[in-house]
Amino acid sequence: MEGFLFWFCGILMFLGGLMMVVQRSAVVSAVWLVFSFLCTAGIFALLSAPFLAVMQVLVYAGAIMVLFLYVIMMLHGPVLEDELIPSNKALWPLIAIPPAAVVILLVGWVKGEGLRTMPDSIAADFGTAEHVAQLLLGRYLLAFELISIVLLVAIIGALAIGQRERKLPWK
Amino acid sequence: MEITLSHYLLLAGAVFTTGMVGFVIRRNAIVMLMCVELMLSSTNIVFAAFSRFHGNADGHVFVLMNFAVAAAEAAIGLAILVEIFRRRRTVNVDDFKTLME
Amino acid sequence: MESHSTEILLRWIVLIPLLGAAVNGLLNRKLPRQVAGLLACTTVGISFALSIVVFLRLLGMEAEHRFLTDTVATWIGYGNLSVDLGFAIDPLNAVMALVVTGIGFLIHVYSLGYMAHDQGFQRFFAYLNLFIFSMMTLVLGENLLMLFVGWEGVGLCSYLLISFWFNDEANAAAGKKAFIVNRIGDFGFLIGMFLIGATLLPHLQGGEGLFSFQTLQHHTDLLAPVATVICLLLFVGATGKSAQIPLYIWLPDAMAGPTPVSALIHAATMVTAGVYMIARMNFLFVMSDTAMLVVAIVGAATAIFASSIALVQNDIKKVLAYSTVSQLGYMMLACGVGAFGVGIFHVMTHAFFKALLFLGSGSVIHAMSDEQDMRVMGGLKNKLPITYWTFLIGTLAIAGVFPAAGFFSKDEILWKAWSSGHHILWGVGFLAAGMTAFYMMRLVAMTFYGQNRASAEVKSHIHESPATMTIPLIVLAGLALVGGWIGWPHFLGGGAWFEAWLEPVFSGGHAAHGAVVHSAGEAHVAHDVAMEWTLAGASLAWGILGLGVGWFIYTKKLATADSFKKFAGGFPHRVLLNKYYVDEGYEAAFIRPGFRLSKTVLWKVIDAGVIDGLLVNGAALVVAVVGSVLRIFQNGMVRFYAWSFTIGVTVFILYLSFSG
Repeated sequence: MEGFLFWFCGILMFLGGLMMVVQRSAVVSAVWLVFSFLCTAGIFALLSAPFLAVMQVLVYAGAIMVLFLYVIMMLHGPVLEDELIPSNKALWPLIAIPPAAVVILLVGWVKGEGLRTMPDSIAADFGTAEHVAQLLLGRYLLAFELISIVLLVAIIGALAIGQRERKLPWK
Repeated sequence: MEITLSHYLLLAGAVFTTGMVGFVIRRNAIVMLMCVELMLSSTNIVFAAFSRFHGNADGHVFVLMNFAVAAAEAAIGLAILVEIFRRRRTVNVDDFKTLME
Repeated sequence: MESHSTEILLRWIVLIPLLGAAVNGLLNRKLPRQVAGLLACTTVGISFALSIVVFLRLLGMEAEHRFLTDTVATWIGYGNLSVDLGFAIDPLNAVMALVVTGIGFLIHVYSLGYMAHDQGFQRFFAYLNLFIFSMMTLVLGENLLMLFVGWEGVGLCSYLLISFWFNDEANAAAGKKAFIVNRIGDFGFLIGMFLIGATLLPHLQGGEGLFSFQTLQHHTDLLAPVATVICLLLFVGATGKSAQIPLYIWLPDAMAGPTPVSALIHAATMVTAGVYMIARMNFLFVMSDTAMLVVAIVGAATAIFASSIALVQNDIKKVLAYSTVSQLGYMMLACGVGAFGVGIFHVMTHAFFKALLFLGSGSVIHAMSDEQDMRVMGGLKNKLPITYWTFLIGTLAIAGVFPAAGFFSKDEILWKAWSSGHHILWGVGFLAAGMTAFYMMRLVAMTFYGQNRASAEVKSHIHESPATMTIPLIVLAGLALVGGWIGWPHFLGGGAWFEAWLEPVFSGGHAAHGAVVHSAGEAHVAHDVAMEWTLAGASLAWGILGLGVGWFIYTKKLATADSFKKFAGGFPHRVLLNKYYVDEGYEAAFIRPGFRLSKTVLWKVIDAGVIDGLLVNGAALVVAVVGSVLRIFQNGMVRFYAWSFTIGVTVFILYLSFSG
């Protein structure tokens, strides 16, 4: 059962990403990305990370992608004429080099090292909201607070950039 | 066939590479940002997989941090794009060459 | 409970003056003068009161265990290097704490009157409080590093206060001179500290404070091989701070500051920091006979050198300044012959009478409308009665007339010099003592006796100072008179209580060095008492003789003084008046060559040639060449950048996976 779910979610996730890259319309790309993220949530669930799975759906597939779609709509869903280029076909091999190298490396690494089996048993509450919260508000409290500052800065930055009239106090 | 740690890592690597290629070949800045999100998301899988492997949920905390960073990055990136679009009426990155000189 | 509460007081003794400094310094002119003055005096007063409380607690303890410590925090903790931010008190620094806060308090009160009309009233008190804070850090610091912090702090305050009236360029220059000369000394001090650290650090157990005096004392055996070098380096620091040859030159110039500052910093407290430091490190100094001898010789030489200059100076404060230098020489002499306790005793008595003399001179200057030249003074005896009588007591004290304070400490120093076998040094000190008596009487005679030589305008303004100035004078006069009695020596039927009080601090040193220091003293006690009587009598007679000659020449026979000026073509007089041309010598030996070096080599060759030509223009050229190459890649294509990025990452991963 686990095997089936992994292949199902994994392949769909990968395909979702691929479709996002090759679709010409930004809106369609975004929808494919949402699809891919939903599959990622499934992968999280398989990895005994139920809390992360829920957060993936809520934050990524929900909030962040809604923001993307909103911006695409606001900009009239622009479709660029000459998408999916380089028009110069000679450049294609150049672009293919890095991903090819990475894929070859990964496959070689798995061949060399062999497969690493996951431990069979895991604590019953592993990855639950309570478990993660204990860590987040305990050992990683400082990081947790700092990330709130990062978000605050992002909000202020977005507001400052998006201001229509530049009425900054020092101007 | 049993699903191992390596399976998860290979999946993450494949998705990451997709995002990487997408970032290089696409010209629509919004889609490029989406590719970045895809790459970030694939690293989250690595974190979660190793957490499961070691039976240590610290990796989950990092995934959450990553969510926050992704959200912040999307917010700022999109705000910049909107501002550029207002001025230049385009989101084609090949038109943004003023950084050159 | 009781003990805990006493220890916690230590930090407040130090910190409360800082509070005053902060409030006065930050609010400055916004603070009404009365509030600023009251605040400054109160904070130091509280410090003094707390010092007394701690002192009484020490007094109630057993002699061997008189030690309290208050650790505020760990300052530096890294590996087995650990330095605490802490304070400690034992009999030695209890004395210093009482002297600093006590005299400091009196001088704060005096300044209320002296600085009453000054523009920078609040600023002055902020500096003064800051000084007390730094000095108490120096004195109460639990380790050498804390001492050094205070050491630098008092240097800074000294600089700020010397150039307090910075509108006058001479004052600013004097401040700079003091600071720079002190830095030269501090450099030696720092190297000495580094050497201690480098020697001790590998051997320390965890938790032992590296520079803590306790630790240093436990590990004297480790320091023994380098003791001479360390002591000499530390002594270089002391020559700067305590104005010894060859770094004494800043102190006479430091008289540019307001007179209370001269009294507090450049006579009573800060300049004795070097003596205190040597006394504190006594366990180290006694291990090195060479270092001790150097200290003693430099001390004695400074004593006679400075007092000979003081013979002919005409500025009232300059006389007192050279007198201070020479008295500091005495203290160093005491330390150098192993009599640390006596050195500290002289620190204390000197603080009493020299503060008194300076404040008295301040009162005179105040009355004479800021005139400092003694040649236009005279006849002030009746116009300034309180100032006169207190000044006279101070003079008797410094001249070593029985039973004023100076007699006990100075006589004790000379006796220790003699009994430890340094007969030549004793002779030098003895000679300087006579000169001291002479020039002090000359000062009194020129200032208070005879006819007033000032202009009519100044004359009409002469008045006795207000109560805030005279009360400290009276208190200090009392101390200058009776303050030495706590060291009443055995041979006069006293108990030498002061030395007994300090005994536990220095006993470690005596044990190691006793053979040298007390060989004469312990072997021939009976013989020594007779000798002690003789020497004491001789120095008393010698002091009175000096006073008498001074009085006689400068009231009855002014012609004699004039004839000295013409003696041997006036050469000796000119040399003394110009302070042996030491400043000029330094200028010719160090400053002018320094300028010449700067103008020729440093400027033309290094700055214009190497830095401008090679480095600046060369750097620009390199950037231009590299830039023209990089421009090809800097094409503004975001996706090209991203692609380069992926190539870079790929190469990096390849490197990592194949490099093993």
